Amino acid sequence: MAEQIEATALIEAVQLFLSELEGELKGRRAFHAKVAQNALAIVARELAQAPQAREQALLAGVLGHQGSLDGLRAELCGRLRSGTIGETTPGLVDALLQVALARCAVDNPRYATFRRLAS
Amino acid sequence: MANAPTIEQVSALVGAPVARIEALSGGASSATYAVDAVRSDGPPWPLILQCAATGSVPEGGLPRRDQALLQQRMFDAGLPVARVVRILKAEDGLGEGYVMERLPGEALAPKWLKLPQYQAARAGLTAQVAGVLARLHAQPIASVADLRLPVASTAEALARMFANYRRFGVDSPVFDLAFAWLRERVTDRPASAIVHGDFRSGNFLISEHGLEAVLDWELAHLGDPHEDLGWLCCNAWRFGVWDKPVGGFGDREALYSAYEAAGGAPVDRAATRLWEVWGTLKWGIACLQLGDDHVSGRLRSVERAAIGRRVSEVELDLMHIFAKGDV
Repeated sequence: MAEQIEATALIEAVQLFLSELEGELKGRRAFHAKVAQNALAIVARELAQAPQAREQALLAGVLGHQGSLDGLRAELCGRLRSGTIGETTPGLVDALLQVALARCAVDNPRYATFRRLAS
Repeated sequence: MANAPTIEQVSALVGAPVARIEALSGGASSATYAVDAVRSDGPPWPLILQCAATGSVPEGGLPRRDQALLQQRMFDAGLPVARVVRILKAEDGLGEGYVMERLPGEALAPKWLKLPQYQAARAGLTAQVAGVLARLHAQPIASVADLRLPVASTAEALARMFANYRRFGVDSPVFDLAFAWLRERVTDRPASAIVHGDFRSGNFLISEHGLEAVLDWELAHLGDPHEDLGWLCCNAWRFGVWDKPVGGFGDREALYSAYEAAGGAPVDRAATRLWEVWGTLKWGIACLQLGDDHVSGRLRSVERAAIGRRVSEVELDLMHIFAKGDV
């Protein structure tokens, strides 16, 4: 391996530290320690799953050309606002459902709607 | 942030001895305290003090004095709300706010939605909340004419929500699709009723007997009564109990028919489903706003940053509705 301690190992180490700390905290601080551990779990899943690459490919498919993710998003939003693309555009709803699934898989795979769709 | 209120200050406010003050929560704009006062004839007098941490309320929210007056009028009209004890004045030095009675019950929806001791309460809750909404929406608008309740027709409210979304400079194709979807379907209705504006399972105080109180009247406004019925059914307030669309405890048709049976106007079923999409999108924009508290530096906090990522849950709910007709 190139690194003994990869980014994911650092994330796990900080999660471990926060879980130790949580027991010594009370109220709001303890709650924030829990939220912080969840936030690190999001980072770990984002590193592993790279949802942006999937979103970029799906949006490029809808728009019919390549581009940066920010550029594709801005263009798609602009066309939705002006009405030149809409709910009846072939493939749009399915592509955005796939994008939403990829994002929720990172941000909260325990969310009920994600579990219903993933099962 | 303003200084925390002292026991002497609060005791002077309510005109009774105070044994204890405990901070319950603090946000960017408000602070809530549990106050244990003692009545002159001896028994404990549990109270809640709500005041603006920064001395003012957030843009678009109801001024706290008006919120307290509205709450008191709804109490007088027989709705289940906490009685207001004292509205703060400038010379009290605690910003805008008020003191109300602290009622017994469980406010954490994930608890009362799941624990077995609330089973009977849950069974009767759909009819209870339907009755509360029917009575609220039947209150004449003239009875609150002196309060600064925001007013908007549905078209104006949709335009305001879009402007709010654009403030954050975030491009969400799902949100823009949802705005286009709503513009296609929403008919402009005038504001015709007092709307609670945040009527959801997280704002119900529940005991083993059922509904004790409806909390948090800060977002009350004049609008389309279908808004409250739709917002109550948004997936975010079901806390995982997705197959019970009414707040995680009931069925839509039971809610609508109980509302009509309690004297509510006939429910336009399609309109309430539009308000569910609207409410889902509105919650998504609230997540953007809470995330922006962190990004902008207004309130740097791991909690606010993490809530920003809940936008994904909302996007998935919206796409589930658009792809499958329901969530």
